[in-house]
Amino acid sequence: MFLDLENLTMKFGGLTAVDKISINVKQGEIHGLIGPNGSGKTTIFNMLSGYYKPTSGKIMFEGKDMTGMPAYKITAAGFARTFQNLRLFKSMTVLDNLMVAMGHKATAKVYEVMINPIAARKEDDVFTEKAMKILELLDIRKFANNQATSLPYGHQRRVEIGRALASEPKILLLDEPAAGLNDVETEELSEILEKIHASGITIFLVEHHMKLVMKSCGMITVIDYGKKIAEGDCNCIQNDPVVIEAYLGKEEDLVSR
Amino acid sequence: MSNKRKIVKTVIFVLGAIFLLFLPFITKSQYQIHIVNMCGIYILLSLGLNIAMGYTGQFNLAMGPLWGIGGYTAGILNTKFGLPFWVNLPIAILLAGLVGAFVGLPSLKVRAHYLSIVTIGLGEMLNLILVNEEKLTGGVLGILGITAPKFLGIPIDSDGKYYYIILTFVVLGYLLARQIVANRVGRSFRAIRDDPLTAQAMGVNIGNYKILAFFISAAYAGAAGALYAHLNTYISPDIFDYRSTMFIMTMTMVGGIGSLSGSIIGGILLPILQEYLRAIQSWQLVGYGLIILLVVLFVPGGIIQIVQRKAPNHKITLHRRHKSTHAAKKSEENDVLGS
Repeated sequence: MFLDLENLTMKFGGLTAVDKISINVKQGEIHGLIGPNGSGKTTIFNMLSGYYKPTSGKIMFEGKDMTGMPAYKITAAGFARTFQNLRLFKSMTVLDNLMVAMGHKATAKVYEVMINPIAARKEDDVFTEKAMKILELLDIRKFANNQATSLPYGHQRRVEIGRALASEPKILLLDEPAAGLNDVETEELSEILEKIHASGITIFLVEHHMKLVMKSCGMITVIDYGKKIAEGDCNCIQNDPVVIEAYLGKEEDLVSR
Repeated sequence: MSNKRKIVKTVIFVLGAIFLLFLPFITKSQYQIHIVNMCGIYILLSLGLNIAMGYTGQFNLAMGPLWGIGGYTAGILNTKFGLPFWVNLPIAILLAGLVGAFVGLPSLKVRAHYLSIVTIGLGEMLNLILVNEEKLTGGVLGILGITAPKFLGIPIDSDGKYYYIILTFVVLGYLLARQIVANRVGRSFRAIRDDPLTAQAMGVNIGNYKILAFFISAAYAGAAGALYAHLNTYISPDIFDYRSTMFIMTMTMVGGIGSLSGSIIGGILLPILQEYLRAIQSWQLVGYGLIILLVVLFVPGGIIQIVQRKAPNHKITLHRRHKSTHAAKKSEENDVLGS
């Protein structure tokens, strides 16, 4: 099994944000996670990336228990994420933003790069080359030495994805990558997702943009009020009465008004 | 870079190097060269504070007392065990570094202004130890009769000769600091300063790096301490307290927080200014407070910002302000529409 969430529960005081959710993400898939606002999608992501410690339940990744691990160890295990509201390092260039995420893969000791300029240069050359390849893939190579937060919004979104890719993840957690993008940019994003998917990285996608979800995802999980209400491929989800109800409300509701 | 600019740069560099090498012969008195030496020691302290505060965003406000740890380590080893400067210096660096790492432990739990209060407190505790452990430290009287270092058998017994030792360590300290902030370590530091939570999600072990930043800044203080003890041949606890911390912080902010060149500018300017302001000694702390306030309000990037004529790429802010940028608005809109 690749990534298994087993009966994952997160309670904030009296509020149960995520209630006994089990999801199974298969390797090499683009798995979508959708649901109305406040249904617990980002909470699930925050548990996966180690920001929240689940109240109960388990997160299993490649047979290992990851529940409650610190964030940096989870990244080392092969997770990488982007954020719904952009969180780029504001004082750094695009290139440096990517290179931060590569640090945990470095083999040279910390004291070595601090006192040995040659070792440090060698390491940075390798990092730069890798980062440039990622920027090439995302078509933002020419902005490598610009300050990341000075780029247009759509490009900043790509830098976020690039930074996540830079940590060489096995699974990529994307939290609403299409938020704030126009139709053309969303189309380009979909192509980028396709490229990333083709390079063998599993994608776990939270998104409101239904066109993108339906186009990209092989498997979709729908949650509402912290509970899983449906799971399946696009067709199956689109015609599920429970899903339609969650998004649009019940038919009787309309009639009774 | 064009050829012409390259030549200009080389000429400036060579002239600067010659100036620094012959500085003791230009100065008019022992007093003046002593001030120059103190500038060197303050540059080291400011570089240390800049790495913790400017680059990593960790307020290490125990710099004064940590400087004292370095000074007293050298002083005690010299007067009680007869060890020479060259042995005392590395021990002072290591010991101050370790104490600094300890002072940095609260950074794992508290941030920003809370951290600065905790480190000021821990620093004052260290200073009280220096005052009260009379058997070891000589209490308020301090330690007398620290011997001057020897280099190749020649005693470095005047400020003019000592200048070259200080110059060497300032140059080494600056190059080391440049190396530290230029690679993976520096990037991780800056990532922690910009956004610790995101840094962690990008695989940066923020706890380790914060402690490392404290260790490095304290190690610089330790080196400055050993240099100071053997230069002055006399140390007492009163200089190693929060007032020195404020002084070091002032010079770092005046020079340019988050810029190593800024530390050099501030480390030269402030000690000289202090000499001119000897007359109003009791008002010095008020003066530092005022200077910091003016710098934060009008030139947040320090003098280096004026020199380089560019806005700082970050400001030290205690309270994170959320500006509703175009991007954020767009994202909010989409959140509403998306569901």
